[in-house]
Amino acid sequence: MDLVAENLTRSFGRRRVVGPLSFRVAPGRVLGVAGPNGSGKTTLVRTLAGLIRPTTGGVFLEDGDGRRSPRDAADAIGWVAPDLSLYGELTARENLQFFAKLHGRPAAPAWADEAIAGVGLDPARIAATPLHALSTGQRQRIKLVYATLHHPAVLFLDEPSSNLDDAGRAVVARVVAEQRTRGVAVVASNDAGDLALADERVTL
Amino acid sequence: MTERPARPGVFGAAAALFRKDLLSEWRTRVSTNALLLFAFAVLVLVGYAVGPASLSPEDRPTVHSVLLWIVLFFSAMTGLARAFVKEEDAGTAAALRLAAPPPAVLLGKLLSNLALLFVVTLFVVPVFLAMMSFELKSPALFLLLLLFGNLGLASACTFTAAIVAKASAKGTMFAVLAVPLLLPPLVGAVMGTRVAATETELSAGLDFVRLLVAYDGVVTTAAFLLFDAVWRE
Repeated sequence: MDLVAENLTRSFGRRRVVGPLSFRVAPGRVLGVAGPNGSGKTTLVRTLAGLIRPTTGGVFLEDGDGRRSPRDAADAIGWVAPDLSLYGELTARENLQFFAKLHGRPAAPAWADEAIAGVGLDPARIAATPLHALSTGQRQRIKLVYATLHHPAVLFLDEPSSNLDDAGRAVVARVVAEQRTRGVAVVASNDAGDLALADERVTL
Repeated sequence: MTERPARPGVFGAAAALFRKDLLSEWRTRVSTNALLLFAFAVLVLVGYAVGPASLSPEDRPTVHSVLLWIVLFFSAMTGLARAFVKEEDAGTAAALRLAAPPPAVLLGKLLSNLALLFVVTLFVVPVFLAMMSFELKSPALFLLLLLFGNLGLASACTFTAAIVAKASAKGTMFAVLAVPLLLPPLVGAVMGTRVAATETELSAGLDFVRLLVAYDGVVTTAAFLLFDAVWRE
Protein backbone atom coordinates (compact mmCIF):
# COMPACT_ATOMS: atom_id res chain seq x y z
CA MET A 1 0.00 0.00 0.00
CA ASP A 2 1.52 3.34 -1.08
CA LEU A 3 1.23 6.48 1.02
CA VAL A 4 0.42 9.37 -1.32
CA ALA A 5 0.25 13.10 -0.57
CA GLU A 6 -1.01 15.42 -3.30
CA ASN A 7 -0.59 19.19 -2.96
CA LEU A 8 -1.12 18.77 0.75
CA THR A 9 -1.43 21.86 2.90
CA ARG A 10 -2.59 22.42 6.45
CA SER A 11 -3.31 25.87 7.88
CA PHE A 12 -4.54 27.08 11.25
CA GLY A 13 -6.51 30.23 10.60
CA ARG A 14 -4.47 32.21 8.09
CA ARG A 15 -1.18 30.64 9.13
CA ARG A 16 -0.03 27.85 6.85
CA VAL A 17 1.84 25.25 8.87
CA VAL A 18 2.41 22.55 6.27
CA GLY A 19 2.88 22.41 2.51
CA PRO A 20 2.16 22.40 -0.24
CA LEU A 21 3.68 18.92 -0.32
CA SER A 22 3.43 16.07 -2.80
CA PHE A 23 5.13 12.70 -2.44
CA ARG A 24 4.61 8.98 -2.76
CA VAL A 25 6.13 6.39 -0.43
CA ALA A 26 6.10 2.80 -1.64
CA PRO A 27 5.91 -0.30 0.61
CA GLY A 28 9.26 -1.20 2.10
CA ARG A 29 10.38 2.43 2.16
CA VAL A 30 10.83 4.78 5.10
CA LEU A 31 10.14 8.51 4.82
CA GLY A 32 11.91 10.85 7.23
CA VAL A 33 10.33 14.16 8.17
CA ALA A 34 12.89 16.67 9.45
CA GLY A 35 12.72 20.26 10.55
CA PRO A 36 13.28 22.50 13.55
CA ASN A 37 10.83 22.83 16.43
CA GLY A 38 7.58 24.43 15.30
CA SER A 39 8.18 23.62 11.64
CA GLY A 40 5.03 21.47 11.43
CA LYS A 41 6.39 17.90 11.66
CA THR A 42 3.73 16.77 14.12
CA THR A 43 0.99 18.53 12.18
CA LEU A 44 2.14 16.81 8.99
CA VAL A 45 2.20 13.40 10.67
CA ARG A 46 -1.26 13.91 12.20
CA THR A 47 -2.59 15.00 8.81
CA LEU A 48 -1.05 12.00 7.05
CA ALA A 49 -2.51 9.69 9.71
CA GLY A 50 -6.00 11.14 9.22
CA LEU A 51 -6.20 12.66 12.68
CA ILE A 52 -6.42 16.16 11.17
CA ARG A 53 -8.15 17.03 7.94
CA PRO A 54 -5.91 18.70 5.27
CA THR A 55 -6.79 22.28 4.40
CA THR A 56 -6.21 21.63 0.70
CA GLY A 57 -4.96 18.67 -1.28
CA GLY A 58 -5.25 15.12 -0.10
CA VAL A 59 -3.65 12.09 1.54
CA PHE A 60 -4.36 8.61 0.23
CA LEU A 61 -3.46 5.02 0.91
CA GLU A 62 -3.29 3.44 -2.51
CA ASP A 63 -3.08 -0.17 -3.59
CA GLY A 64 -4.33 -2.35 -6.44
CA ASP A 65 -7.92 -1.93 -5.24
CA GLY A 66 -7.83 1.86 -5.46
CA ARG A 67 -7.20 4.65 -3.00
CA ARG A 68 -8.72 5.39 0.38
CA SER A 69 -8.34 8.32 2.73
CA PRO A 70 -6.55 7.52 6.01
CA ARG A 71 -9.85 8.13 7.85
CA ASP A 72 -11.46 5.32 5.89
CA ALA A 73 -8.47 3.05 6.45
CA ALA A 74 -7.77 3.68 10.12
CA ASP A 75 -7.18 -0.05 10.72
CA ALA A 76 -4.21 0.18 8.33
CA ILE A 77 -2.51 2.90 10.35
CA GLY A 78 -0.22 2.76 13.36
CA TRP A 79 0.81 5.91 15.20
CA VAL A 80 3.15 6.84 18.02
CA ALA A 81 3.64 10.43 19.16
CA PRO A 82 4.57 12.36 22.29
CA ASP A 83 0.96 13.54 22.67
CA LEU A 84 -0.42 9.99 22.42
CA SER A 85 -1.41 8.50 25.76
CA LEU A 86 -2.67 5.08 26.71
CA TYR A 87 -4.80 4.43 29.80
CA GLY A 88 -2.76 5.22 32.90
CA GLU A 89 -5.09 3.47 35.33
CA LEU A 90 -4.87 0.20 33.37
CA THR A 91 -1.84 -2.05 33.44
CA ALA A 92 0.45 -2.40 30.44
CA ARG A 93 -1.04 -5.84 29.79
CA GLU A 94 -4.64 -4.57 30.03
CA ASN A 95 -3.88 -1.69 27.66
CA LEU A 96 -2.43 -4.01 25.04
CA GLN A 97 -5.24 -6.55 25.46
CA PHE A 98 -7.83 -3.80 25.03
CA PHE A 99 -6.33 -2.43 21.82
CA ALA A 100 -5.66 -5.93 20.52
CA LYS A 101 -9.36 -6.74 20.92
CA LEU A 102 -10.33 -3.57 19.05
CA HIS A 103 -8.06 -4.67 16.21
CA GLY A 104 -9.39 -8.23 16.17
CA ARG A 105 -6.26 -9.89 17.51
CA PRO A 106 -6.32 -12.73 19.99
CA ALA A 107 -5.63 -10.93 23.26
CA ALA A 108 -4.51 -13.58 25.73
CA PRO A 109 -2.35 -12.40 28.65
CA ALA A 110 0.50 -14.56 27.34
CA TRP A 111 0.42 -12.72 24.02
CA ALA A 112 0.58 -9.34 25.78
CA ASP A 113 3.48 -10.51 27.93
CA GLU A 114 5.32 -11.73 24.84
CA ALA A 115 4.73 -8.35 23.16
CA ILE A 116 6.06 -6.54 26.23
CA ALA A 117 9.16 -8.74 26.20
CA GLY A 118 9.51 -7.98 22.49
CA VAL A 119 10.28 -4.33 23.23
CA GLY A 120 12.91 -5.23 25.79
CA LEU A 121 10.82 -4.94 28.96
CA ASP A 122 10.50 -7.59 31.64
CA PRO A 123 6.86 -8.77 31.66
CA ALA A 124 7.19 -10.06 35.22
CA ARG A 125 7.87 -6.50 36.41
CA ILE A 126 5.98 -4.46 33.85
CA ALA A 127 2.88 -6.31 32.67
CA ALA A 128 0.77 -5.97 35.82
CA THR A 129 1.91 -2.42 36.64
CA PRO A 130 -0.48 0.48 35.96
CA LEU A 131 0.85 2.51 33.08
CA HIS A 132 1.02 5.70 35.14
CA ALA A 133 3.54 3.99 37.43
CA LEU A 134 5.97 3.23 34.58
CA SER A 135 8.78 5.52 33.50
CA THR A 136 8.33 7.70 30.42
CA GLY A 137 10.74 5.49 28.47
CA GLN A 138 8.89 2.31 29.47
CA ARG A 139 5.59 3.88 28.43
CA GLN A 140 7.17 4.87 25.09
CA ARG A 141 8.05 1.23 24.45
CA ILE A 142 4.49 0.13 25.32
CA LYS A 143 3.25 2.74 22.85
CA LEU A 144 5.42 1.14 20.17
CA VAL A 145 3.67 -2.17 20.84
CA TYR A 146 0.28 -0.43 20.68
CA ALA A 147 1.13 1.09 17.29
CA THR A 148 2.28 -2.14 15.70
CA LEU A 149 0.11 -4.84 17.27
CA HIS A 150 -2.28 -4.87 14.29
CA HIS A 151 0.49 -4.99 11.67
CA PRO A 152 -0.34 -1.63 10.11
CA ALA A 153 0.36 -0.99 6.44
CA VAL A 154 1.52 2.53 7.31
CA LEU A 155 3.33 3.29 10.56
CA PHE A 156 3.83 6.88 11.76
CA LEU A 157 6.54 7.44 14.34
CA ASP A 158 6.66 11.00 15.69
CA GLU A 159 9.76 11.52 17.83
CA PRO A 160 9.99 7.75 18.42
CA SER A 161 13.24 7.86 20.39
CA SER A 162 12.20 10.56 22.83
CA ASN A 163 12.95 9.45 26.40
CA LEU A 164 14.52 6.20 25.20
CA ASP A 165 17.94 4.87 26.17
CA ASP A 166 20.26 3.13 23.72
CA ALA A 167 18.43 -0.18 24.11
CA GLY A 168 15.14 1.62 23.43
CA ARG A 169 16.60 3.23 20.32
CA ALA A 170 17.58 -0.22 19.12
CA VAL A 171 13.95 -1.27 19.60
CA VAL A 172 12.85 1.65 17.41
CA ALA A 173 15.33 0.61 14.73
CA ARG A 174 13.98 -2.95 14.88
CA VAL A 175 10.36 -1.75 14.68
CA VAL A 176 11.21 0.28 11.58
CA ALA A 177 13.05 -2.66 10.03
CA GLU A 178 10.03 -4.91 10.65
CA GLN A 179 7.73 -2.29 9.18
CA ARG A 180 9.69 -2.43 5.92
CA THR A 181 8.48 -6.01 5.49
CA ARG A 182 4.81 -5.05 5.72
CA GLY A 183 4.50 -1.52 4.38
CA VAL A 184 5.48 2.10 4.78
CA ALA A 185 7.02 3.90 7.76
CA VAL A 186 7.18 7.64 8.36
CA VAL A 187 9.63 8.91 10.98
CA ALA A 188 9.36 12.53 12.10
CA SER A 189 12.19 13.65 14.33
CA ASN A 190 15.00 16.04 15.10
CA ASP A 191 17.15 13.13 16.16
CA ALA A 192 19.87 12.23 13.67
CA GLY A 193 19.67 8.57 14.69
CA ASP A 194 15.93 8.42 13.96
CA LEU A 195 16.34 10.17 10.62
CA ALA A 196 19.16 7.82 9.64
CA LEU A 197 16.54 5.06 9.50
CA ALA A 198 14.83 6.81 6.56
CA ASP A 199 15.44 6.20 2.85
CA GLU A 200 14.09 9.56 1.73
CA ARG A 201 13.46 12.79 3.51
CA VAL A 202 11.07 15.72 3.58
CA THR A 203 12.49 18.79 5.29
CA LEU A 204 10.04 21.38 6.58
CA MET B 1 3.90 -9.06 3.81
CA THR B 2 2.26 -9.81 7.17
CA GLU B 3 -1.48 -10.46 7.15
CA ARG B 4 -3.43 -7.90 9.16
CA PRO B 5 -6.14 -9.23 11.48
CA ALA B 6 -9.77 -8.43 10.65
CA ARG B 7 -11.36 -5.93 12.99
CA PRO B 8 -14.27 -7.05 15.16
CA GLY B 9 -17.73 -5.72 14.38
CA VAL B 10 -19.32 -2.72 16.05
CA PHE B 11 -20.78 -4.80 18.88
CA GLY B 12 -17.51 -6.60 19.61
CA ALA B 13 -15.56 -3.34 19.74
CA ALA B 14 -18.28 -1.65 21.81
CA ALA B 15 -18.21 -4.54 24.29
CA ALA B 16 -14.42 -4.21 24.62
CA LEU B 17 -14.74 -0.47 25.20
CA PHE B 18 -17.54 -1.00 27.73
CA ARG B 19 -15.40 -3.48 29.69
CA LYS B 20 -12.43 -1.10 29.55
CA ASP B 21 -14.55 1.79 30.85
CA LEU B 22 -15.96 -0.32 33.68
CA LEU B 23 -12.45 -1.41 34.67
CA SER B 24 -11.19 2.21 34.52
CA GLU B 25 -14.13 3.40 36.59
CA TRP B 26 -13.64 0.60 39.11
CA ARG B 27 -9.98 1.63 39.53
CA THR B 28 -10.58 5.41 39.77
CA ARG B 29 -14.26 5.68 40.82
CA VAL B 30 -14.22 9.33 39.71
CA SER B 31 -17.65 9.40 38.04
CA THR B 32 -19.30 7.02 40.51
CA ASN B 33 -18.15 9.03 43.51
CA ALA B 34 -19.23 12.32 41.91
CA LEU B 35 -22.67 10.98 41.06
CA LEU B 36 -23.28 9.22 44.37
CA LEU B 37 -22.02 12.12 46.48
CA PHE B 38 -24.20 14.55 44.58
CA ALA B 39 -27.23 12.24 44.83
CA PHE B 40 -26.61 11.73 48.56
CA ALA B 41 -26.30 15.47 49.22
CA VAL B 42 -29.51 16.26 47.33
CA LEU B 43 -31.40 13.42 49.04
CA VAL B 44 -30.40 14.71 52.45
CA LEU B 45 -31.38 18.28 51.54
CA VAL B 46 -34.72 17.17 50.13
CA GLY B 47 -35.34 14.99 53.17
CA TYR B 48 -34.74 17.88 55.56
CA ALA B 49 -36.50 20.55 53.52
CA VAL B 50 -39.57 18.65 52.36
CA GLY B 51 -39.78 15.42 54.32
CA PRO B 52 -42.66 12.96 54.15
CA ALA B 53 -45.13 14.84 56.36
CA SER B 54 -44.84 18.45 55.30
CA LEU B 55 -46.91 18.06 52.15
CA SER B 56 -50.65 17.61 51.84
CA PRO B 57 -51.61 14.13 50.55
CA GLU B 58 -52.90 15.52 47.24
CA ASP B 59 -49.63 17.40 46.56
CA ARG B 60 -47.32 14.52 47.39
CA PRO B 61 -47.41 12.59 44.08
CA THR B 62 -46.56 15.67 42.03
CA VAL B 63 -43.87 17.09 44.31
CA HIS B 64 -42.27 13.71 44.97
CA SER B 65 -42.18 12.90 41.25
CA VAL B 66 -40.53 16.21 40.44
CA LEU B 67 -37.97 15.85 43.24
CA LEU B 68 -37.05 12.28 42.29
CA TRP B 69 -36.36 13.17 38.67
CA ILE B 70 -34.49 16.33 39.67
CA VAL B 71 -32.10 14.17 41.69
CA LEU B 72 -31.63 11.74 38.78
CA PHE B 73 -31.32 14.54 36.21
CA PHE B 74 -28.67 16.54 38.05
CA SER B 75 -26.79 13.40 39.01
CA ALA B 76 -26.63 12.53 35.31
CA MET B 77 -25.44 16.04 34.49
CA THR B 78 -22.70 15.70 37.11
CA GLY B 79 -21.12 12.44 36.03
CA LEU B 80 -22.04 11.50 32.49
CA ALA B 81 -20.20 14.36 30.75
CA ARG B 82 -16.91 12.70 31.68
CA ALA B 83 -17.39 9.91 29.13
CA PHE B 84 -15.54 11.75 26.39
CA VAL B 85 -13.98 14.62 28.34
CA LYS B 86 -11.77 12.12 30.15
CA GLU B 87 -10.54 10.62 26.86
CA GLU B 88 -9.70 14.06 25.43
CA ASP B 89 -8.08 15.39 28.61
CA ALA B 90 -5.98 12.25 29.13
CA GLY B 91 -4.79 12.20 25.49
CA THR B 92 -6.27 8.76 24.81
CA ALA B 93 -8.94 9.93 22.34
CA ALA B 94 -6.61 9.81 19.33
CA ALA B 95 -5.60 6.22 20.14
CA LEU B 96 -9.27 5.31 20.32
CA ARG B 97 -10.05 7.14 17.05
CA LEU B 98 -7.52 5.01 15.18
CA ALA B 99 -8.42 1.74 16.87
CA ALA B 100 -12.23 1.65 16.98
CA PRO B 101 -14.98 2.51 14.49
CA PRO B 102 -17.00 5.58 15.58
CA PRO B 103 -20.33 3.75 16.11
CA ALA B 104 -18.56 1.30 18.43
CA VAL B 105 -17.11 4.18 20.45
CA LEU B 106 -20.53 5.78 20.86
CA LEU B 107 -22.21 2.48 21.74
CA GLY B 108 -19.50 1.58 24.26
CA LYS B 109 -19.70 4.98 25.94
CA LEU B 110 -23.51 4.87 25.94
CA LEU B 111 -23.45 1.48 27.66
CA SER B 112 -20.93 2.75 30.22
CA ASN B 113 -23.04 5.81 31.01
CA LEU B 114 -26.19 3.70 31.19
CA ALA B 115 -24.52 1.33 33.65
CA LEU B 116 -23.38 4.29 35.76
CA LEU B 117 -26.85 5.81 35.74
CA PHE B 118 -28.46 2.53 36.79
CA VAL B 119 -26.02 2.25 39.69
CA VAL B 120 -27.09 5.73 40.81
CA THR B 121 -30.76 4.84 40.28
CA LEU B 122 -30.36 1.70 42.39
CA PHE B 123 -29.00 3.91 45.16
CA VAL B 124 -31.33 6.91 44.81
CA VAL B 125 -34.73 5.35 44.20
CA PRO B 126 -35.02 3.01 47.23
CA VAL B 127 -33.61 5.70 49.55
CA PHE B 128 -35.95 8.33 48.12
CA LEU B 129 -39.03 6.09 48.30
CA ALA B 130 -38.28 5.17 51.91
CA MET B 131 -37.26 8.64 53.04
CA MET B 132 -40.25 10.43 51.51
CA SER B 133 -42.77 7.63 52.19
CA PHE B 134 -43.48 7.79 48.46
CA GLU B 135 -46.07 5.11 47.69
CA LEU B 136 -46.38 3.75 44.19
CA LYS B 137 -49.69 2.27 43.07
CA SER B 138 -48.25 1.01 39.78
CA PRO B 139 -44.65 -0.18 40.35
CA ALA B 140 -44.55 -1.74 36.86
CA LEU B 141 -45.26 1.63 35.25
CA PHE B 142 -42.64 3.26 37.48
CA LEU B 143 -40.02 0.68 36.46
CA LEU B 144 -40.77 1.25 32.76
CA LEU B 145 -40.42 5.00 33.27
CA LEU B 146 -37.10 4.52 35.06
CA LEU B 147 -35.83 2.20 32.31
CA PHE B 148 -36.70 4.42 29.36
CA GLY B 149 -36.11 7.69 31.23
CA ASN B 150 -32.59 6.61 32.12
CA LEU B 151 -31.95 5.47 28.56
CA GLY B 152 -32.98 8.92 27.33
CA LEU B 153 -30.80 10.67 29.92
CA ALA B 154 -27.81 8.48 29.09
CA SER B 155 -28.25 8.77 25.34
CA ALA B 156 -28.62 12.57 25.28
CA CYS B 157 -25.84 13.11 27.84
CA THR B 158 -23.41 10.79 26.02
CA PHE B 159 -23.87 12.51 22.68
CA THR B 160 -23.69 15.97 24.26
CA ALA B 161 -20.51 14.91 26.08
CA ALA B 162 -18.96 14.00 22.72
CA ILE B 163 -19.82 17.44 21.32
CA VAL B 164 -18.35 19.40 24.24
CA ALA B 165 -15.29 17.21 24.83
CA LYS B 166 -12.98 19.46 22.79
CA ALA B 167 -14.49 22.76 23.96
CA SER B 168 -12.62 24.99 26.40
CA ALA B 169 -15.67 25.69 28.63
CA LYS B 170 -16.87 22.10 28.82
CA GLY B 171 -19.09 22.41 31.90
CA THR B 172 -21.02 25.42 30.64
CA MET B 173 -21.33 24.03 27.12
CA PHE B 174 -22.59 20.70 28.44
CA ALA B 175 -25.32 22.34 30.51
CA VAL B 176 -26.34 24.72 27.71
CA LEU B 177 -26.69 21.88 25.21
CA ALA B 178 -28.04 19.15 27.47
CA VAL B 179 -30.74 21.00 29.40
CA PRO B 180 -33.01 21.84 26.44
CA LEU B 181 -32.39 18.40 24.98
CA LEU B 182 -33.41 16.70 28.23
CA LEU B 183 -36.49 18.75 29.12
CA PRO B 184 -39.02 16.78 27.00
CA PRO B 185 -38.21 13.35 28.49
CA LEU B 186 -38.01 14.84 31.98
CA VAL B 187 -41.48 16.32 31.70
CA GLY B 188 -42.79 12.97 30.44
CA ALA B 189 -41.02 11.04 33.18
CA VAL B 190 -42.30 13.36 35.93
CA MET B 191 -45.89 13.24 34.69
CA GLY B 192 -45.71 9.48 34.23
CA THR B 193 -44.32 9.00 37.73
CA ARG B 194 -47.19 11.04 39.16
CA VAL B 195 -49.59 8.70 37.38
CA ALA B 196 -47.70 5.68 38.77
CA ALA B 197 -48.25 7.11 42.25
CA THR B 198 -51.99 7.69 41.82
CA GLU B 199 -53.30 5.02 39.40
CA THR B 200 -53.12 1.26 39.80
CA GLU B 201 -53.54 0.46 36.10
CA LEU B 202 -50.38 0.29 33.97
CA SER B 203 -52.36 1.46 30.96
CA ALA B 204 -53.11 4.82 32.65
CA GLY B 205 -49.50 5.94 32.14
CA LEU B 206 -48.50 4.11 29.00
CA ASP B 207 -48.66 7.28 26.92
CA PHE B 208 -45.73 8.64 28.93
CA VAL B 209 -43.79 5.42 28.39
CA ARG B 210 -44.49 5.71 24.65
CA LEU B 211 -43.25 9.31 24.74
CA LEU B 212 -40.00 8.21 26.37
CA VAL B 213 -39.54 5.30 23.94
CA ALA B 214 -40.07 7.66 20.98
CA TYR B 215 -37.66 10.22 22.45
CA ASP B 216 -35.03 7.55 23.11
CA GLY B 217 -35.39 6.25 19.55
CA VAL B 218 -35.06 9.68 17.96
CA VAL B 219 -32.15 10.88 20.10
CA THR B 220 -30.21 7.62 19.89
CA THR B 221 -30.69 7.40 16.11
CA ALA B 222 -29.67 11.04 15.64
CA ALA B 223 -26.63 10.45 17.87
CA PHE B 224 -25.45 7.51 15.76
CA LEU B 225 -26.02 9.43 12.52
CA LEU B 226 -24.13 12.52 13.67
CA PHE B 227 -21.44 10.98 15.85
CA ASP B 228 -18.94 10.27 13.08
CA ALA B 229 -18.67 13.99 12.25
CA VAL B 230 -18.54 15.01 15.92
CA TRP B 231 -15.92 12.42 16.91
CA ARG B 232 -13.49 12.79 14.01
CA GLU B 233 -13.50 16.58 13.50
